[in-house]
Amino acid sequence: MISIGLEGSANKLGVGIISHPHPNKPAQILSNIRHTFISPPGEGFLPKDTAMHHRSWVVRLVKQAMAEAGVSIADIDCICYTKGPGMGAPLQSVAITARMLSVLWQKELVGVNHCVGHIEMGREITGAQNPVVLYVSGGNTQVIAYAEHRYRIFGEALDIAVGNCLDRFARTLEISNDPAPGYNVEQLAKKGKILLDLPYAVKGMDCSFSGILASIDLLAGELKANPDKRDPITGELITTADLCFSLQETVYAMLVEITERAMAHVGSSQVLIVGGVGCNERLQEMMGLMARDRGGSVYATDERFCIDNGIMIAQAGLLAYETGFTTPLEESTCTQRFRTDEVFVKWRD
Amino acid sequence: MEVDTSLSQSSSPVPLPLILQRPSVPAILIAQGAEALLFRSTYLLPSLPCALKYRPSKPYRHPTLDLRLTKHRILSEARVLTKCRREGVPVPGVYALDEGAGWMMIEWVDGEVVRIRLNEWLSRRAQEGVPQGVEDGKLVGLMRRIGSAVGRMHGVGVVHGDLTTSNLMLRPVPAEGVNGGGMLDGEIVLIDFGLASQSTQDEDRAVDLYVLERAFGSTHSKAESLFTEVLGAYEKSFKGANIVLKKLEEVRMRGRKRSMLG
Amino acid sequence: MALECINLEHVPASHTIHAALFQNIKNASFLHQQLLAGNTEFEYALIDASVIISRLHALAAIYRAVNDLLGNKLRSRNVHSEIVFSLSPNNNIAESFRRFGISPETTSLLVIKVSTPSSPAAGEDIQSHLSKVVDGEQVDFSDGVLRAMTDMVRVKKIYKLNYSSGVNGRGKENAVYGSDRTSQDSKELEMLILGSMALRGATN
Repeated sequence: MISIGLEGSANKLGVGIISHPHPNKPAQILSNIRHTFISPPGEGFLPKDTAMHHRSWVVRLVKQAMAEAGVSIADIDCICYTKGPGMGAPLQSVAITARMLSVLWQKELVGVNHCVGHIEMGREITGAQNPVVLYVSGGNTQVIAYAEHRYRIFGEALDIAVGNCLDRFARTLEISNDPAPGYNVEQLAKKGKILLDLPYAVKGMDCSFSGILASIDLLAGELKANPDKRDPITGELITTADLCFSLQETVYAMLVEITERAMAHVGSSQVLIVGGVGCNERLQEMMGLMARDRGGSVYATDERFCIDNGIMIAQAGLLAYETGFTTPLEESTCTQRFRTDEVFVKWRD
Repeated sequence: MEVDTSLSQSSSPVPLPLILQRPSVPAILIAQGAEALLFRSTYLLPSLPCALKYRPSKPYRHPTLDLRLTKHRILSEARVLTKCRREGVPVPGVYALDEGAGWMMIEWVDGEVVRIRLNEWLSRRAQEGVPQGVEDGKLVGLMRRIGSAVGRMHGVGVVHGDLTTSNLMLRPVPAEGVNGGGMLDGEIVLIDFGLASQSTQDEDRAVDLYVLERAFGSTHSKAESLFTEVLGAYEKSFKGANIVLKKLEEVRMRGRKRSMLG
Repeated sequence: MALECINLEHVPASHTIHAALFQNIKNASFLHQQLLAGNTEFEYALIDASVIISRLHALAAIYRAVNDLLGNKLRSRNVHSEIVFSLSPNNNIAESFRRFGISPETTSLLVIKVSTPSSPAAGEDIQSHLSKVVDGEQVDFSDGVLRAMTDMVRVKKIYKLNYSSGVNGRGKENAVYGSDRTSQDSKELEMLILGSMALRGATN
């Protein structure tokens, strides 16, 4: 079976085509392309502009994806799209596209949960059997473990997602958003070495990031007003690189901690990191150290799959479709709020 | 703290704090959580047992952050314990600590955790063929004592953060020793304050109760209906407890249903 | 009565502890003077025993001081002054000497000597020196003797244990406890003091 997947819950528009040749064989990625709406430095992306971007690129991407995959309309079995969660207008643009294709091509629709898409693609690519999943992106921060047909949320960010925190800090520092604000924060952090004292907010299995964001924004402001600011302990000059370094070290430590707690709770030693923030090398390194200490390992994918993409929607959608799941046209809505544990994961034991 | 079975396959040995590396009375590892190790050792005299809680450094954390966190957590837990003890909340006393080295020695509590005793009791009752719902004075008594102890703790401005039946102990009371204290007898002692905080917020207190309620539901489903006895005793334990119970209703409905925004 | 050699758990054998308790001290001023003058023959912890409620109380302070010595974390001049400081519920060193250290008014005195590899001291030498310089009656370093010397009002004031919920503030539910409330109460007091010493000022 072959499916086409459309993703556009945030500023990344992705189209992917996947094939499941045989139940016992691995999936084949036939094409996976993406175009990102990048806003100017210091600005975030607004729903209206993002939706406009998606609408103007989606047809192009679908055609290109099909050409790269070498498939025709007849080959496709179903059209998968992101039902949610995400930003309203962008989600709608993609949903409308999916509906249009469904009616035009006379193919069934499958609405997919964005987070489940990340998880299923992560599992497929890495081969991780039953890991604890850390899903971290601009819009989500969750620690998930599979149990009885649900991806259960063990821990999460109580206020804003970690990616959101990093992206907003990038805005504060007016760092470029190309290719992604978080990526540029990561590069700057590599040049930092002073670890400043920032609020560390882990509460049991959950964590929160608004406090640390407020603190780091304040520090950035102070640094701008007073560039000669020195670290009280080492006496060295503080740089924006140090700010990025301190922020990363602290928020990533928080994420590793709540992941470890979940692992201890369910008795697992494998971790799978998915979501845009999962691309970060330092996070992968830290998670790897923790997992190794527990006699386990960390699984992560590269930016083709970490960052929002269409193939993950195609994958999760096709898995559901193969169990007989479809989304009738009348129900092919999209929603900003769609919790990971609402999905009945019929395709797993 | 849960005993973490996944670590039994771990390649790295159990890290020991420096003080336990000096050969004296060998320490016994009791529990290994994600955060800390618990040993049974002695304090000052071979005849005075103690529990040693050790927070080893985490290799993934930046060393400055690691030390800062370890110190903060040791001190925070010690502060909460001493505050509770001062105000008459039944918790282990703090003997000594070295926050820089990451350890704390506290009073050894004899007895067993409620989780084990409760399950023993429930299975014995099931074996004896006693149908559920038949009046069980001992069980009700235990529930009430739990409610009172938790209420007492909340009343002094402390929230446990990890209330499960593994963090409640039944300590044998000397006066009852002659009768061979019953399975559910004993003084409730609250332990493992590693996630505790000082708070008087009804929300925090309600979440504390909710965690305990869920723990009863998942670990002792046969006793779940008796949780109302816990709450009943809780309500009488301090002024304002009834407001917490109202908050609990809200927390129950919310559960893990925090909305997500893509 | 002889000098007692004490072994504490987790303290290596290289560091031995000697203790001697005296009552009816007549030359407190003289001894205090030696300490102030920094007389090297008087490298002892000279503790006013009236603010020590039990052996354990004193041992807890000794352990803290020795542990800090081994960890290179002394806050005061030497391990002996550190023992006095370790009795304190806060970080004010000068205040701790005034509260717990010997003063001209001291009548009961606890003397502690820690023998370390860098400054070793033999038991007999310590005993003979103390017998010579301390004008007082050497008694058993025991809980019974100490309790008779204790100024409980002062102790409670220092450790701020004067609240109405009672030392063993567990309330009416505790009727099961035996008639020996006093020993329960003093055990509880000791526990609270140990906690106070452990936190030393890091309270809120």
